[in-house]
Amino acid sequence: MFAAGTAAFGTLPAGKKMVIGMSQCNLGEPWRVQMNADIKKAAQKVPGLDVVFKDAQNDTLKQRAQVEEFINSGVDLLIVSPKEAAPLTPPIAEAYKKGIPVIVLDRKVLGNDYTMFIGADNKRIGLAAGRWIAKRLGGKGKIVELKGLMTSTPGQDRNSGFRQGIKGSGLQVAFEADMKWLEPDARKEMESALAVHSDVDLVYAHNDPGAHGAYLAAKAVGREKNIMFVGIDGLPQEGQAYVKQGLLEASFEYPTGGKEAVENAMKILGGKKGLPKELKLESRVFTKANIDKGGELLK
Amino acid sequence: MTKARDFFGLVFSKPWVRALSALVFVALLGIIFNAEGTFFKWSTHRDMLRQVSVYGMLACGMTLVIITSGIDLSVGSVLGLSAVLFSIATLHLAWPAWLAIAVTLLAGIACGTLSGAMIARFRMQPFVATLAMMVFARGAAKYLSGGQKVSTAVAQADGTYKYVDLPRIFSLIDHRILGDNIAVVALIFLGCVLLCWLLLAKLRWGRYLYATGGNEEAARLSGIPTGAVKLLAYGLSGMFCALAGICQAVQEQQGDPEAGTSYELTAIAMVVIGGTSLSGGRGGILFTLLGVVTIGYLEKILSINAVGEASRLMLTGIIIVAAVLFQKTKKA
Amino acid sequence: MAEPGDRMVDTLLSLRGIRKSFSGVTVLDDVSFDLAAGEVHILAGENGAGKSTLIKIIAGIHTEYEGEMKLNGRPVVIASPHHAAELGISVIHQEMSLVDSMSAVDNLFLGRELAPRGWLDKSSQRVKAGEFCAKLDLDIDLSRPVEDFPLSVKNRIEIAKALAIDAKIIIMDEPTSALSGPEVEKLFRIIAELKKSGCGIIYISHRMDEIYAIADRITVLRDGRTVGTARAKELGEDELVRWMIGRELKAQFPERARADGAGGAKDRIKVEGFSVLKPDAGSHGAKRWLVKDAAFSVKPGEIVGFAGLQGSGNSDLFSGLFGAYGDRAQGKVTLDGAPFRVKSPEHSIRQGMAYLTNDRKGTGLVLGMDIVQNITLASLPAVSPAGWFRQALEREIAARHMGALRIKASSGGQEVGTLSGGNQQKVALAKWLETEPKVMLLDEPTRGVDIGAKHEIYRHMNEWTARGISILLITSEMPELLGLADRIIVLHRGEMTAEFPRETATQEKILRAAMGRIGTSKGRS
Repeated sequence: MFAAGTAAFGTLPAGKKMVIGMSQCNLGEPWRVQMNADIKKAAQKVPGLDVVFKDAQNDTLKQRAQVEEFINSGVDLLIVSPKEAAPLTPPIAEAYKKGIPVIVLDRKVLGNDYTMFIGADNKRIGLAAGRWIAKRLGGKGKIVELKGLMTSTPGQDRNSGFRQGIKGSGLQVAFEADMKWLEPDARKEMESALAVHSDVDLVYAHNDPGAHGAYLAAKAVGREKNIMFVGIDGLPQEGQAYVKQGLLEASFEYPTGGKEAVENAMKILGGKKGLPKELKLESRVFTKANIDKGGELLK
Repeated sequence: MTKARDFFGLVFSKPWVRALSALVFVALLGIIFNAEGTFFKWSTHRDMLRQVSVYGMLACGMTLVIITSGIDLSVGSVLGLSAVLFSIATLHLAWPAWLAIAVTLLAGIACGTLSGAMIARFRMQPFVATLAMMVFARGAAKYLSGGQKVSTAVAQADGTYKYVDLPRIFSLIDHRILGDNIAVVALIFLGCVLLCWLLLAKLRWGRYLYATGGNEEAARLSGIPTGAVKLLAYGLSGMFCALAGICQAVQEQQGDPEAGTSYELTAIAMVVIGGTSLSGGRGGILFTLLGVVTIGYLEKILSINAVGEASRLMLTGIIIVAAVLFQKTKKA
Repeated sequence: MAEPGDRMVDTLLSLRGIRKSFSGVTVLDDVSFDLAAGEVHILAGENGAGKSTLIKIIAGIHTEYEGEMKLNGRPVVIASPHHAAELGISVIHQEMSLVDSMSAVDNLFLGRELAPRGWLDKSSQRVKAGEFCAKLDLDIDLSRPVEDFPLSVKNRIEIAKALAIDAKIIIMDEPTSALSGPEVEKLFRIIAELKKSGCGIIYISHRMDEIYAIADRITVLRDGRTVGTARAKELGEDELVRWMIGRELKAQFPERARADGAGGAKDRIKVEGFSVLKPDAGSHGAKRWLVKDAAFSVKPGEIVGFAGLQGSGNSDLFSGLFGAYGDRAQGKVTLDGAPFRVKSPEHSIRQGMAYLTNDRKGTGLVLGMDIVQNITLASLPAVSPAGWFRQALEREIAARHMGALRIKASSGGQEVGTLSGGNQQKVALAKWLETEPKVMLLDEPTRGVDIGAKHEIYRHMNEWTARGISILLITSEMPELLGLADRIIVLHRGEMTAEFPRETATQEKILRAAMGRIGTSKGRS
């Protein structure tokens, strides 16, 4: 599964040292902690490559200052996972114009003044989940949708993609609630859904903890065997673990791009030409059947 | 007509009547918006009590602290820290349950006592001291957990994950007893209420809490060790936070370092809706129980009717203001 | 310079027929007062004579009164403290009216900042402030917050503030109470300068030395009325004291078996070299203590009265003895022959002391709690063996006191905050009685209590002394002091100035001692 060896990342000339600056917008979410971990793990395989991590603690201005700090300290390459597009565009452009390559991860900035954007597409994942669920249920059934924060873009995309995916099938969303990405809230909302509806077939949650919370709610009333649970994110210790333990029917990966960022950083630093400006990350689906083989790529 | 008004005036001058009327109002909402009869199912009420229990435990500690005319902003963070500690001890270190529980409770008491010491010994304002503890405990929770949820998927040195079985203590606590009629978590909450009631109504130190909150200088001059009284209040609050943290962890089957974020505000709202005044010296744990159940029903009713997040927040705000305004209109 | 008051050249301020009452109680009745340019006019009177009320009218704090006020010969109605400042009236308060956290400059210009078009002109402010301070011989860093300075400096900053508004009338309310000797002299030199520049100064003082050192004229108030105005040279000390007292003592106190003060009974409490430090002691130039070297003893069943005017330190002496000030109170105390360490209220109560404070709402009672809970507040361990309340016992105890002290309430469950002043005071007394004290420190036990309740309290005090309880009593009511106490100790600014046995004590002697004249002491030097 993690077969990528040193070769995949490239090597630095012997004795040469390089520094990558990584600006993470917020380490309050496990997914972003995982992104940093992925970068760290990939970077460790390249001798002489050092990554300096900074956490902006969900503060746009702090992240802006941190990017500027990286420019001043003269890093060889910059990876930024921005909190917001507009305010971070100028400092990223400044770095780019000063000749520091910049890889933008997960969320885009405005304009073209960066080296490469790497990210996944929530809407596509939602769509894939919708289609997969429609197929799994044979085009018929009652669904509970536990939404992330509907004021956030990922929440909106995972919702609209999903609705598009189940369109035309006989699936019906019988109950929907905003669980704010939080497991305790998901459990609470699911309990209400179970109280109101006696015939739920499947729960589609916008993240794995949400799906897990829903599972626990169903288990508390002994209905977990009759309901399928599907989540998004597919982190190793969350979604993948739940699938492995048989709690979730499926988890759709929302890849962090950490590994890909380091791979491409090595290519950029190695002077490779003709790299794409934008790299769309492949997403996988984990099910009981394929989890031990590392999931299956979505088409 | 005046007679009727006198009667109502008399009845409503009783604090418990006022606290109860908020609950009755919310219950009426439930009867009207019953979500196709869901509100009338026993399981709705049973689940409400379980859902609100973790908050309720925090509100118990908050009541004690508010009676001493203080405030404890750290309850949510100490809950998070406790959930992480308990999960690490049981899931990662495979400690026996009693040891994990004891260590978690001690950690909670230590956090609370530390806040209390800052307030009693160094005369820091409760708001500031517990604000510092709130930030510190959240940091400690993230540090201990490495920012990730502490779950049954245990990371190994080589980057793979080993899955451990959920220890029995998890299912023992997240479980219903007495013919499937009450959750163990809810019983723990009611136990906390009983403990607070004994302290406040039957024990000497309970009177010390009221006196310290009502008039600290008069209490001190009457020979009451006001410093120790504050240590007790904050220490107990820390203990209830630890209990709540354990209950949160077993219900989530993991220790989330973000658990309990902004729970302190809900706990304060519950105490205030019950009628315990933030200025201290008054109130009681049974009022808080009413406040806890009122908020619990409100959330339940909004949830079973699948009301949107925006309307929920607005409605909750209105109910809090209405309830507190109603408390204020005494002796009108 | 001509003697002020000889020729009434410039009458700055004149008040005629001032009358003021608070909720039906007349506190000022037909008061007249004149202030001339270039004079120091002392306003004298006992506590409660109406001095502060009069000052507050002049300063624009009390705006509702009868009578006429003229400023420079023209009738004037002062609408607010701000208005008073505009008219050139400045009050230097006992409690400093400076904002501690702000710099000296900012304080000097507080409320009248030099700010053309809204922008603070800091440099001009600094220059001007420097000028005022130079006049006062005040060489300090004006940009530092005033809390950094000792009281003596703050005091002069207050005066600089008066200069800054170009005040013609300066009111000083006990300005020297916190100053040491050399600092007082410095202040007097400044006052002399102010006089030369044509200011009129109204000066309140309780200190005989001071009055005669700086007064040009003296006006005495008593019970809200003007007794008279005289030139200081023509009003002797004895006459001044008589003006201040001027009342007959009425026999209104229940008879009681007097304790034999000189007899064989051992001392109940003996105090030697007892001092109470100020909380911020250490700043130079200011007094470091609230009470200095107090020494006295009290026998079982004896009532010893403590007399003094404002700032005497009597209440601080009680608080210190009771342990409320912790280790700020130092000295040798013996209780029934055994050494007693002043530690904490808790400790003192266990040793048999009780302390009725002079502020029952602020420090005496927990108003939100009911009568029963307040009565048992200081003796909770007794009603809750092993920590558990015995509620029947608690109610029984409360009922006993409510009966004995005739506390009028619907039930023991009534909130103390809803009781009348007299009944509240009885609850506070009951609280202390329940601790079965050996020594009771009573600070103004009859303050704010109606006549009926007062007499009941007197009667109860007699009962308690009959049981052997020693009472230390502070009261600002002279008749009460002379009628109740077996001996009277007088403090002036923290130091004992006299001790009289009841037989030889007179109002005149007490008042003179309270104003700093060393009185005839009973075998004590």
